[in-house]
Amino acid sequence: MEPRIGVFICDCGGSIKNIDFSQAREKAAKIPDVAFVELSSDLCLKEGEQKMSSSLKAKNIDRVVIAACSPESKKHVFQKALESAGLNGHLLSMVNIREQCSWAHEGDITEKALQMVRMGVNKARSLKPIEKEEISVNKDVLVVGGGFSGMSSAIQLSRLGLRTILLERESALGGKNRDLEDLYGLKTSSLIKEIEGNKDIEVLTSSEVVKVEGKVGDFTVRIRRGTEERSRVFGGIVFATGYETGGDSQLKPGAQITSPNGLAYMLQASNLGGKPRIIGFVFDSSDENSRLASVATLNSALTAKQKWDSEVYVFCKNVKVDGEGLESLYREARECGVVFVKFEEKPKISAQDGRVKIEAKDVLVGEGTALECDLLIAEENFLPSQGTETLSSLLNVRTDSRGFYQEENVHLYPVSSERKGIFFVGDCRGDSAPGRVLTDVSSAVTSLYELLGPGKIVVERDKVKVDPQKCRTCLTCLRACPHSAVGLTRVENGREVAEIWDLACDACGICTALCPAKAIEFEGYSDQQILAQIEAIGVS
Amino acid sequence: MAFCCEHSAYSAADLAGRLALHCPENLRVIPVPCAGRVDTLHILKAFENGAAAVLVLGCEEGACHHLTGNTRAKERAKHAEVLLKEIGGNGRYVAMSNLSPNAPHKFVTIVDEMNERIKKSGEVR
Repeated sequence: MEPRIGVFICDCGGSIKNIDFSQAREKAAKIPDVAFVELSSDLCLKEGEQKMSSSLKAKNIDRVVIAACSPESKKHVFQKALESAGLNGHLLSMVNIREQCSWAHEGDITEKALQMVRMGVNKARSLKPIEKEEISVNKDVLVVGGGFSGMSSAIQLSRLGLRTILLERESALGGKNRDLEDLYGLKTSSLIKEIEGNKDIEVLTSSEVVKVEGKVGDFTVRIRRGTEERSRVFGGIVFATGYETGGDSQLKPGAQITSPNGLAYMLQASNLGGKPRIIGFVFDSSDENSRLASVATLNSALTAKQKWDSEVYVFCKNVKVDGEGLESLYREARECGVVFVKFEEKPKISAQDGRVKIEAKDVLVGEGTALECDLLIAEENFLPSQGTETLSSLLNVRTDSRGFYQEENVHLYPVSSERKGIFFVGDCRGDSAPGRVLTDVSSAVTSLYELLGPGKIVVERDKVKVDPQKCRTCLTCLRACPHSAVGLTRVENGREVAEIWDLACDACGICTALCPAKAIEFEGYSDQQILAQIEAIGVS
Repeated sequence: MAFCCEHSAYSAADLAGRLALHCPENLRVIPVPCAGRVDTLHILKAFENGAAAVLVLGCEEGACHHLTGNTRAKERAKHAEVLLKEIGGNGRYVAMSNLSPNAPHKFVTIVDEMNERIKKSGEVR
């Protein structure tokens, strides 16, 4: 049957001035398969919508072309309007005659607008409806890592009614902050207590993730506990695997040299031999990622000053204070009498009669300065925690240049991974100020609740679809998919062919372009639809 | 003819319109969900239908919404360029550029530059 295409041209409340609408209407009506053309000036408002809806029914239209604003702004509105008129929302082709035609040019632009309408009509001709489908999902969430961020995630998830399994590699919960609460100011003991009394959180200690298969709503995770391995199904996964510290390679820890962590233990110890009178921190981080090191240094310098009343000197290249509360922490430290010395060249450190000598050039004063101290606190490197590399290749997600998990998009989706349903929170995605950890947890939890909360996800069925007859199982799509949304399925004659999981697919079309057998059809952006638009530029 | 990634170049083009930055009138845009969707075939078909230049516009390198789409598109554009030369497409150009969605000025610059190139080669009517 020939398609009956309805074209609606809207002047967006009179904001499109350089198109001759009556001429456009006349010429657009002559395009093959166009059943009728209607002009409007308020298509996205209620009145315009009602008018469109009645025209669609009266003229028995089965494809719609709307020439108006950018699809980015109003496509969803028009799709809904189509649906209320009894048409599938996907049978719509939008032509952007406002932003990319009228507003981008001066003078009469009717001819270009018409050609764009022709492109839209050509695309509309081969549009197929896409049905929506509800897929029920598993509502359990796996949280990997029982440190501060992992425990907070589990608690917040359980408050929203999502059952959580909390996995911890060590034998007890708490992570790094269990013993070092003072270092970063994050309290864990109350969290541990809350988790113990929560029946929606199941804690598995001394356990590790061995394998992750499947997709959002249906991840099968193999968990090893001691020698025993078993599989469980989860709807989503949160990784909160934290970081590790490694010492400065040139300085060996000893009685006079320790790390910020070591100092925190000393500060907590009740029976310390004698209090160090002079403490020097050497803090060399100068890159963009030294927030955690700054927090640790500032916190421990301040605590040492307050608890031991020692003289505290911080030799630093840069103190990173762009996190929440860091600027005030820095001020507080200065006001308490902590002295900051800024250097450019690495300070010389030598041992002298049981004391440590630091020699540096103060760039603010322009002179060399030397300090003999009882205790030297050397900075540590922050590294991704052990197993990050294995896990990332297991999950097929990226890591950044230092090996931390890479967020999907630093600005837009900071806690999401490129795989739907897998999130990273806290310091496993690079070191961050404690304030950001809380933000991370909240955004991951909200996203998970949005995904799994209703117990089902609405997807567009077969938007990207493999034709089993054409598929030769070359696995090109399986390897290329950036979202791990391709799997294999067995068809009638026992052959295995690729299958695209609607749940995990992000509709990018990379597989469609790559498939050597052209077996993957991407409705809305199929070869036929793209080529039809290209052909329209040839006719004028 | 420009294939514009809906995550970057298409938004940039919209912004350019909103800021009334003027584009050449002979520009035609085909939106794609990712630059990686663009096939060599699409580029060559555009030439067959009379395009003087084809631009593939995707996200900035390292910031592709679909991770590898823009690098794949770059390779494909290069491949199309080789094919174009083989079949004697003198004076016609294909290029891949990267830009972010909030870069309307860059969008206009890219399109203008290409337009200058095809004007010089006499391919523009």
